[in-house]
Amino acid sequence: MKKLLEISLGVVTSVGGFLEVGSMATAAQAGAAFRFQLIWAVVLGTICIIFLVEMAGRFAAVSHHTIADGIRERFGFNAFLWPLLAALLVNFLVMAAEIGGVAIALELATGIGFQWWALPVAVLAWLFLWKGTFGFIEKGVAILGLVTLCFVVGAVMLKPDWGQVAAGAVPTLPDHDAASYWFMAVSILGASISPYLFMFYSSGAIEDEWDKSYLGANRAIAGLGMSFGGTIAIGVLIVAALVLAAHGIEQVDDYHQLPLMLIPIFGFWGFVLFVASLGIACFGAALEIGLQQAYLVAQGFGWTWGEDLKPRDDPGFSTVYTISLFLAAIPIALGLDPLKLTIFSMALTAASLPLTVVPFLFLLNDERYVGEHRNGMIANAAVIFIIALGFVLAIVTIPLQIFGGT
Amino acid sequence: MELLRDILDKQVVDREQVKIGKVDGLVAELRPGKPPKIVAVELGSITLARRLGERPGRWMALLAAKLGGKRHAEPHRIAWNKVRDIGVDIEFDINVRETAIFDWQDWLRDHVIGRIPGAG
Repeated sequence: MKKLLEISLGVVTSVGGFLEVGSMATAAQAGAAFRFQLIWAVVLGTICIIFLVEMAGRFAAVSHHTIADGIRERFGFNAFLWPLLAALLVNFLVMAAEIGGVAIALELATGIGFQWWALPVAVLAWLFLWKGTFGFIEKGVAILGLVTLCFVVGAVMLKPDWGQVAAGAVPTLPDHDAASYWFMAVSILGASISPYLFMFYSSGAIEDEWDKSYLGANRAIAGLGMSFGGTIAIGVLIVAALVLAAHGIEQVDDYHQLPLMLIPIFGFWGFVLFVASLGIACFGAALEIGLQQAYLVAQGFGWTWGEDLKPRDDPGFSTVYTISLFLAAIPIALGLDPLKLTIFSMALTAASLPLTVVPFLFLLNDERYVGEHRNGMIANAAVIFIIALGFVLAIVTIPLQIFGGT
Repeated sequence: MELLRDILDKQVVDREQVKIGKVDGLVAELRPGKPPKIVAVELGSITLARRLGERPGRWMALLAAKLGGKRHAEPHRIAWNKVRDIGVDIEFDINVRETAIFDWQDWLRDHVIGRIPGAG
């Protein structure tokens, strides 16, 4: 019973981690521009992240190392520096985008320009990390994040042609704007396969003191949680395809177009739901990424870390999340367009994947860490596929950014 | 035991299980005709910078001496005979409070973090 409760909590938590500004914005853009045609990218991204999250949790539960610990120990400091720097940079951009997402939600709610909200949002997020415990943040993000289910409800109420939806799960070539189509596919993959998600998950497994008895729960949480998140992203895509396109919006290049999505379905409450979903999902993600920055640095250098400790007892750790949050608020406070930043950082996330995923191939096959719980054939094939995908994405991202970006 | 593989870059804890850093470097004694013997592990930014190259190492040593005084001009060392247990972490029979390793975190706590309300 306790395990069941833990699994359901874990599932809900992973939804909170999965659904953030990136997956919402990219899914909305893709739906408006290409109807259901890019659903396959969400499905593919979701399958990839399921494998990586499961492995990150298994690695932590069996070896009692986080992924960052593992990379440093297995490959040495000099090799560790590359994924460390890449992850810090990508996380910084994604966190700025999340703060931008919350700021946009507040602008929609109050009419006060988003740039004025960047610092207050950073201060509030910082307060949560400063005073909160890991369990509080995990559960809070999880439960409030359920509001994003309104997109799934909305998608069902719109009665889409489910045959066409299913057809979208199979990759097809676009009949217009090919560069933009592929750029969106890359951004969706970047939004789904986020390194911060699986690295955070492995730190969470250590914070929650997982051991081998959690391997089953880990598999269930990874599989169900990420599928749940992917389903909501597909819900966003379907709603965008049916509502935005019907209103003549084929190119989402401004966040102000988005609240329209839920209004034809829920009326005024659709506006409220949209603002709440955007604000909460992005705020939760900002908290998790802030923590992840601190985990990454503290674990990489062996400092004392843990969200349950008082800041006095892990001064290095709390300094890192404090600085990260305020740095990430700066671009938004200066008025950088949150949507552009979001799409750019999702594409960059995709390009950074090889650096963070290649180590999985070694760590999850090393008996000294995972013993008999090594990767099987299928899991290894999945990692190799994701690495190959990551290399392709790394090469095509920049040209596509130039020709297909908005 | 393969030293580089099994010791280097592992987590170091003191006897109270406080995480004090990683094994950033190893100090070994070369013995003619016999395999080298570890005498100490090194921790800290100077050792890490030395792993990146000679020049970063020199710069980091200068910087550390400037910021932390003489006590920080050389890397922190823990004698190998203090090792108590090698598992997920390497435990040394020392108390980190009696070393200079946490000086910067103490400074941070006393001058910055501890002054913010609610730091605990």
